[in-house]
This record gives sequence, structure tokens and C-alpha cells, in this order.
Amino acid sequence: MNTRKKDLAVCITFVLMFAFGFLLCTLLPKPRESASERRLLAQMPELSGETVLSGRFMSQFESHVTDTFPFRDSFRTLKALTALTLFSRKDSHGIYWADGFLAAVEYPQNEDSLSHSVDVFRFICDTYLTDGQSVYLSVIPDKNCFLAPESGHLSMDYDAFEAFFQEKADFAKYITISDLLEKGDYYKTDTHWRQEKIMDVADRLADAMGTSLSQDYRIHTHNGDFYGVYRGQSGLPLAPDSLHYLTGPAINGCSVYDWQNQRKIPVYNLTMASGRDPYEMFLSGSLSLITIENPNAETDKTLILFRDSFGSSLAPLLTSGYAKITLVDIRYIHPNFLDQFLDFEGSDVLFLYSTLVLNHSETFLK
Amino acid sequence: MLFSSITFLYYFLPLTAALYFIGPKKFRNIVLLLASLIFYGWGEPKRLPVLLLSVLFGYIFGLLVEKYRKSIYGRVFCIISVLISLSFLLYFKYADFFLENINALSGLNLPLLQIALPIGISFYTFQIISYTIDVYRGEAAQKNLLSLALYITMFPQLVAGPIVRYSHIAGQLNCGPSPSLHQTALGIRRFVLGLAKKILLANQLGELCSLFLASGEPSVLFCWLYAVAFTLELYFDFSGYSDMAIGLGRIFGFRFSENFDYPYLAASITEFWRRWHISLGTWFRDYVYIPLGGNRKGMGRQLLNILLVWLLTGFWHGAAWNFLLWGLLFALLLTIEKLWLLKKLEKCRVLSHVYTLFFVLISFVIFNGETIPQAFSQIGGLFGAGGLPLLSAEALYCLRSFWVVLLLGILGATPLPRKLFRIPAMAEPAALAALWLLLTAYLVDGSFNPFLYFRF
Repeated sequence: MNTRKKDLAVCITFVLMFAFGFLLCTLLPKPRESASERRLLAQMPELSGETVLSGRFMSQFESHVTDTFPFRDSFRTLKALTALTLFSRKDSHGIYWADGFLAAVEYPQNEDSLSHSVDVFRFICDTYLTDGQSVYLSVIPDKNCFLAPESGHLSMDYDAFEAFFQEKADFAKYITISDLLEKGDYYKTDTHWRQEKIMDVADRLADAMGTSLSQDYRIHTHNGDFYGVYRGQSGLPLAPDSLHYLTGPAINGCSVYDWQNQRKIPVYNLTMASGRDPYEMFLSGSLSLITIENPNAETDKTLILFRDSFGSSLAPLLTSGYAKITLVDIRYIHPNFLDQFLDFEGSDVLFLYSTLVLNHSETFLK
Repeated sequence: MLFSSITFLYYFLPLTAALYFIGPKKFRNIVLLLASLIFYGWGEPKRLPVLLLSVLFGYIFGLLVEKYRKSIYGRVFCIISVLISLSFLLYFKYADFFLENINALSGLNLPLLQIALPIGISFYTFQIISYTIDVYRGEAAQKNLLSLALYITMFPQLVAGPIVRYSHIAGQLNCGPSPSLHQTALGIRRFVLGLAKKILLANQLGELCSLFLASGEPSVLFCWLYAVAFTLELYFDFSGYSDMAIGLGRIFGFRFSENFDYPYLAASITEFWRRWHISLGTWFRDYVYIPLGGNRKGMGRQLLNILLVWLLTGFWHGAAWNFLLWGLLFALLLTIEKLWLLKKLEKCRVLSHVYTLFFVLISFVIFNGETIPQAFSQIGGLFGAGGLPLLSAEALYCLRSFWVVLLLGILGATPLPRKLFRIPAMAEPAALAALWLLLTAYLVDGSFNPFLYFRF
């Protein structure tokens, strides 16, 4: 190919790319939200003298055209694969792919955050509980704990992490569950643990809290693909997880009330299982205050469970051991006002949080 | 507007190129001028009048200087023009620096102006100054206001250079640019490669620097990784921008001078500055160093001129003490080289490269320091000062995560890739198209990441 032909080919290629690129960008309909990234996309900003002069129109326009770029998901996948293969990057947007699992780099251990969470827990105990009331605390290690040592990614010292709570949270009895978990107990593409893999965790917690659980469970599989949050964030083309949930006499007989929205909700919301975040099927996702009542319980014990989203899939497994479980998420309800909604008297109290939340406990209201 | 943005690549550039090439040739300058004003106004709508006023002053004084060139008035008009241009720069860029230091020295509490720096003001001010002085020195003034406006505001080089001399493109401005097929193809290639330097190398190296700056785990290894990464980032960021500017210039029929020539191959600081930001170095040489007497008035005066030029060069980069210190370091090194070191360096090439890279690296740590104490702390960290550990988990992780980017950066800063990899002519269009799509993928996935040299 002589120089002229090559130059002509280069010019024609780019004229076509410019033309097609421009036409696709301007003519294709713009989506409002991204299912894979689980977020609303930036929309076309308002055009006015004020927005133009302030520069807001221009910056928001750039966000809009980047967010709604044609074939965005495919481009994000191309970028993620290039970063991890061509450039041998260990992670993409802080998320890495190891042994078939996606996990987020959680590092370093944030001592201030850990102290803050202990302070909040202590405040709750000091303010609302009476002497002799049973208080428990358990830390759920994130997936990084099991993947990073083998894959060479940054990871916190999880033993030290637990030791911190064992030492500082002297108001609670610490229940270790990390020894019961392994990477296979978590979804491959999501942050959370799999409900069908944590029955032993539920048993350990129940034993420690002086109650026992029924082992009568039936495993169901939700029809539909579960693409977890890490898949969308990373853009990596991992196969979907399957979503399982457990039923049994105790779980089936429970009634669940969502105090935030003043409505009855199911234990497993199968509509949400087909929605943006299928994990929200467990107790309808992020809600500040829920009660689960088990009218068939052989005990009158009650439990107040301070929890994050991991608790949503665990709490149904504890129902056979309690007449009533109240789930509280102090990221959405201020600890100062708990007595307006909760009766602490005679209840066991369990603080059950993942390392991901404890290491970023600025989300706890105080 | 950033070159490395979807708005520029998929909206502005196709539209501008279409209007430019499809429209009548006589309107090309007007199309480019309007496009340039939109380009500038997109990022700085409130600062557009400042740019236009600067252009107008440049135009009027250019004509006045030409008309009265042979009398004393020509000199007076030239000086007034330079002072007006500098006053814009002083007001927008340096006023708060001086106020802060006056407050600190006198104990006064003069209020700061807190004016946002108009993008590209350092670059276009220097172009206007060079134009006026060149007219005073005998260059013909531009009679057409639109042509002069296009010279100053032309979007490829408006916000981060290279600093184009009027004489270099006067002919193209007057005759109307007419890019050939070959020039356009070269321009496209240069632009895509420049964009790749920015997005694939500079941005990733920038991520490493950000990780270092956000880390609470400093170590000797981490300090070195940061220093090397920033040295490479600055090069690929700025030379990538220059490549894009030169490439766009070619696409639209203008030839801009080269701005970089593998600076990290230099065997002395003197040579480094012949290879780094060439358009700025030659500007200071032609409009400050030589008019001050250069090397024609004895060694003492020459050294004084070097000191002055490098303090100004440092100050041009930013209104902060670390930039002055950065300039002072180069003045010191250049003086030492001039006095005795240069001849010794010629005897040992390996050592001279190590020496040059070491001081360039140190200088860029100062350059990027938010404060002088922070910069010194980082330089100390390179040598384990303060009992810094040799390694840290984070540093090792970054090394494992960025080693390919660092290696590509080091190799890419030399002519080696050009010598080793020759893409067959047949495959070049496809290779460039594939690279373009990959760059788009990085932009679509990435966050806002402006060019480092926009802040100067």
C-alpha cells in the first residue's frame, strides 16, 4: 500500500467513524438509568442563560453524554478487560477478579471508623438497656478476607479487626463467625453472602444467644439471573449468580411489618428478585425498621438485631428461635430516637455488621 | 472543553471538521475562529470577554507599533502593549499570591480577590506579547482582526500550547489553510496517539500518584513510585496534549512547532530544557534572556540572566513558592553546568543521564508539592528520612498493579517503541480505529480528568 492509499484509508476511516459516532450519539434514544450500574444516568441539563454562564450546562452535558453513550456497557467491559489483561492492573475501580469471584479491595483498616461504631453501639447500650440484658456482637468478614491472601490483593488484618471489637466492645459478648465462612459462601458477583450457605452461622449465633433453631428448611431457586453489584461496578463480563432462598415452617408462618412505610411485607419479595437489585428480595432491601413475628414460636424470646444488608438474609433463619425479631438499621434511623419505636425490655440485642460497613461507619447516624 | 472528552470527540470535532471541510474555502478561517470561541466559551463562558479584550488590544497595538515602528512611539506602544498583557496575567493569576504574601509579611488582612484563573491565559498572553514584539522587530502586523483573533484563539493550541509564534503561521493565516490529504492523515495519527498518551498512560499514572497522596502508609518504595509516576505522568499528559494540538493543527492545515523531543533522554539539565516544553523555553530565550543581554555581557551578567529567566519560568507555571523554588533549582543547576559540570558530564554518558533524571525527578516532586514542606517531606521520603520503612503493603500492591503502566511509560518516553514496532501500512487505519474505540471505552468508563497544564 503506498502512502497516498494509506492516507486515504486513514482519512476515510475517521470520516466514517466521526460521522457514525456523531449520528449514533445524537439520534439514538438516551436511557434514563443503567441496569448494570444500578443508577440513574445524568440527564440532559436545562439550557438557560444562567446554566450556560455558570458553566453548569457544559459540565452536566459532558456527564450526560458520557453516561448515555451508545453501547456504554460494552465499552465499559472493553475498558475493564483491557485494564486487567493488557495493563495487568490488579483491580478496576477497586474491584478485582480472583478465582471466579469479584471482590472489592477493602483497605486499609480505618481505626477511627471502628472506634466510631463501637461508640455508637455503646451509646445505644448505655441509653436503652438495663444491667444484665444480653448484648451480643458479631462481625461478618467481607469476601476480600478469603480471596485477597491467595490473589495478592490488599487486605486488612481480619484477625486484628475482630480483636479490636472483642477488646473495645466490652459491653457485648463477641460471637465469632469468620471460621464458619469461606469464599464460596458469598455470591460471585455481589457483596453479600448466600442465604443457603449460612445456616451454620445462624446456628452459631442462636447457640451463643441461648436459643435453638429448626433445621427444617427447603431451598428454592429464583428463576432469573442475579448480576451482583460488583459486576455492574467493574464492567467485567462475569456469568450471573443464581439466587436461592430458604423456606420452612417457621419462616412461612412469619408476618413482617415495615414500620418505615407502614405496610406488611413478605419475607421474600419475589418481585424485587427480578428488579434492579435482586438481593433486595430478602426483607425488601434497605429499610430502617422491620419486625418479624413468629406466632408459632415455642419461645417468647425476642431479639433486636442491629444490622446492615447482610442481616436481611440471615434474620429469616433466626425466626424459629424467637417470637419476635426487630431489625434496626442505624444508618437510616437516629440512635437518639430508638425508644420511640422500640421496646428494649427483656430483648436480646445483637449487633451484626459486615466489615464493609464497620470500616466506613460514618454512615451511622450519631 | 477538554480534548479527552466525549463532548469534544463526538460532537465538537465532527461538527467543526464537517463545517470546515464542506464549506467554501474562504470561510475556513471564520469557521475555525467561531469554533475556537465556542471551544473556549464552553469551559470559560465568563472569561470569554477577557480573551476577546486581550485579542483586541493585541490587534490595535500591533497596528500602532507597526505604524510608529521607526519612531520612539513604536517602542512606547510596544511597551504599553506588553504591560497591558502582563497586567491581565498579574491580575488574574498572581494578585492573590502577592496579597497573601503582603498579608503574611506586614500582618495586614487585605482581602483576597479569589478570582478563578481564566484557562489558557498564560499561553495566549505570551502569544500576544510575542506578536507585538515581533511586529516591533519588523514583522508585518496583521491587518485583519479575524485572522489575528484566529492566531491567538485557535482551539488546538489555545489552552495549553504549544506557544505558537505568529511568524510561523502568518502565511497560512493570510492565504487560508489548505490541508493536504497527507497532512490530514498525519494529523489524525498524531492526534490519536496524543490522546492515547493522555488516556492510557498519563491518567493511569495519575491514579498511582493519587493513591500515594491519599495513602496513610508512606514508605521509601512508595515515594519512589510516586516520584517516577508523576515525572512520567507530567510528560505524557503535556506531550500528549501537544501531540493532539499539533495533530489538530495539521488536520486543519496549520503547522505548529514541536514542543517535546524525548526530554528524558537528556544528558544534562541544559539539554533537558532544549527538549522539554520547547516553545516556552524558546519564548523566554527570545523575549527575556537575549534582550537582557544573554551571554554577550560577561559571565556575571549571564548568570544573573539565567537566574532571572528561571525564576520567571517557575513563576509562569504557578503563583506559589514551590514553583519559584522549582525555577530556582533549575537556575542553580544550569549555572553549575555552565561553570564546570557540563564538560565533565560529556565524559560519562551513563552518569550524566542518571544525574539529569535524578534532578528532573526531584524538581517535579517540588513542582507537584502542595506546599514546600510537603515537597521536602516527599523528597526526604525518597531517602528514608524520618525512619520511613523501605516497603509497605500498599506500595507493593501499587507496584504489582502498575508495573506494566510504568514500564510502558518508561519505554514510551524513549524512541524505542517507534524503532521496534512498525505497523504495516495496510493495518494502520484499522489499528488507529481500534485504538480510538479503546480510548472511547476509557472515556466512557472514566471520570473527569483534566489536563495538568490547564492550571498554568
